[in-house]
Amino acid sequence: MAEEIVAEPNYEKLCSNILNCNEHVRFAGFVNDKSQILFSAQKDNLDSLLNESEIGMSIQYTLDRWRKAQNFTFRLGKERLTLTEYDNVTLFTIPFKGKLLLVSTEPRIEYDPIIEKVNSIIADWTK
Amino acid sequence: MENGTITYTQLLREDLGIFRVTPDDGVPDFKAGQFLNLGLPLESKIVNRAYSIASSPENRDYFEFVIRWVRKPLPGRLTSLLFNAKEGDKISWTKPAGTLTINDTLPNGEKDTRRIVCIGGGTGLAPFISFAQHLHDTHDKREIVILHGASYVDELSYKQLLTDLENESIAKGADKWNFKYRAAISRPQEWTNRAWHGYKGRIEQFLRTSDNGKSPLEDLVGEKITADNTMFYVCGWQGTIDGVMDYLKAKNFVTEKNKREDGSYEVKFESYG
Repeated sequence: MAEEIVAEPNYEKLCSNILNCNEHVRFAGFVNDKSQILFSAQKDNLDSLLNESEIGMSIQYTLDRWRKAQNFTFRLGKERLTLTEYDNVTLFTIPFKGKLLLVSTEPRIEYDPIIEKVNSIIADWTK
Repeated sequence: MENGTITYTQLLREDLGIFRVTPDDGVPDFKAGQFLNLGLPLESKIVNRAYSIASSPENRDYFEFVIRWVRKPLPGRLTSLLFNAKEGDKISWTKPAGTLTINDTLPNGEKDTRRIVCIGGGTGLAPFISFAQHLHDTHDKREIVILHGASYVDELSYKQLLTDLENESIAKGADKWNFKYRAAISRPQEWTNRAWHGYKGRIEQFLRTSDNGKSPLEDLVGEKITADNTMFYVCGWQGTIDGVMDYLKAKNFVTEKNKREDGSYEVKFESYG
C-alpha cells in the first residue's frame, strides 16, 4: 500500500530566503510549541539586542501569546500574523504548519512588502 | 441537586484554579477519591460536570476542587462559568460517587498493607490530595507515594501541601507517617521551567527501568516494585493511563477492571479524557 510521504520543511533554507528577502530583515527563526528553536539565522555584523536568557523569555512570551490567541479561534478564525513595533526593533510572527515563524526587522519601515514577501516564501516552501 | 455556595476561589494561573464549595446542609459522608457533579445556571438550564474532590472526608467545612478552564477547541461551558464565578455565588452539586477509592482490605479480607502509589496527571492529582489528607488524618501507616505530572511548574498545584506532608514524614519518621512526593515537568526546555531541577519528562517515566536496572520509583522507595508490595492509583488523561499501563502490564500488574479470578488486582484508574 502506498504511503503518503509528508516532507518536513527545510527550515534552514526558509530562514535564509527570508533573511535575504529584504535589507531590513534582521532575524528569522522557527520555533515549535515546546519552545524549541528548529532553526534561526541572523544578519551578519548585527549586535543581538537580547542576551540568551532574554531570547528564551521572549520566545516564551511569544508562544504564550500565540496559545492564548488560539482561544479565540472558534470565533475569530486562525491567527495569521502579529506585529509588535518597539523603539529598537519590530517583531512579527506568522504561524506555519503548527510552528511559529519569528521575524525581526528594523523599526519604522514599510512592513507590508516584507510581510508579503515572507508569506510568498513560506507558501512556496516545497520549492 | 443539592445547593451550596462558592466560598473560596484561587487562580493559580489564568486557566487553573482552586475552588471551595460550602454545602448549605453540611458536607455529607464520602470516600477519599470520589467525585461529584457541580452545576451552574446557563440560559435557564443547569450545566453540570463531574470533578474529583480534592478535600478529604475529614474536612466537614467544604468541598475543594482543582479545576482547569477548558478552552479548546471550544470553551467549556461549566468551566467558563466557574472561572467567571465570584465568592458568594450559589452553585449546585450532587452526592459524591465514584470508585477510585482507597482499598483497605484485600479480596481475602486481610488488611491491605501494600504501598500506595498515586500517579496524577494535571488536575488528575485532585483525588490523591484527598487520599493524602485522609491517610494523614487517619494515621494510616502504609507507605504513600504521590507522583504528579505537569507541563509547567505553575501547574504544580498543592506542591506546598505535599512538600509539607513529606517534610512531616521525614521529621516524624516513616514508622509514624510514611509519605513521599515527586513531580515531573514534561516541558523542561521552556523558559517558564528554567529553574526546575526535579524530574523531567512524562510522569509515567517514573516507572521506566533505568540503566541501573531500577526505575526512578524503585530508587525512591528503595526496593523492587511488585504486584505483592504496591497498589497503584492513577488519574489523568487517557494517554497518562495508557502510558502507566504500558509499564505495569509488562510487570504483570492487573487493573481492577481485569481482576484475576481470586479478585486480586493492583491498579485502579480513572480517566477524564
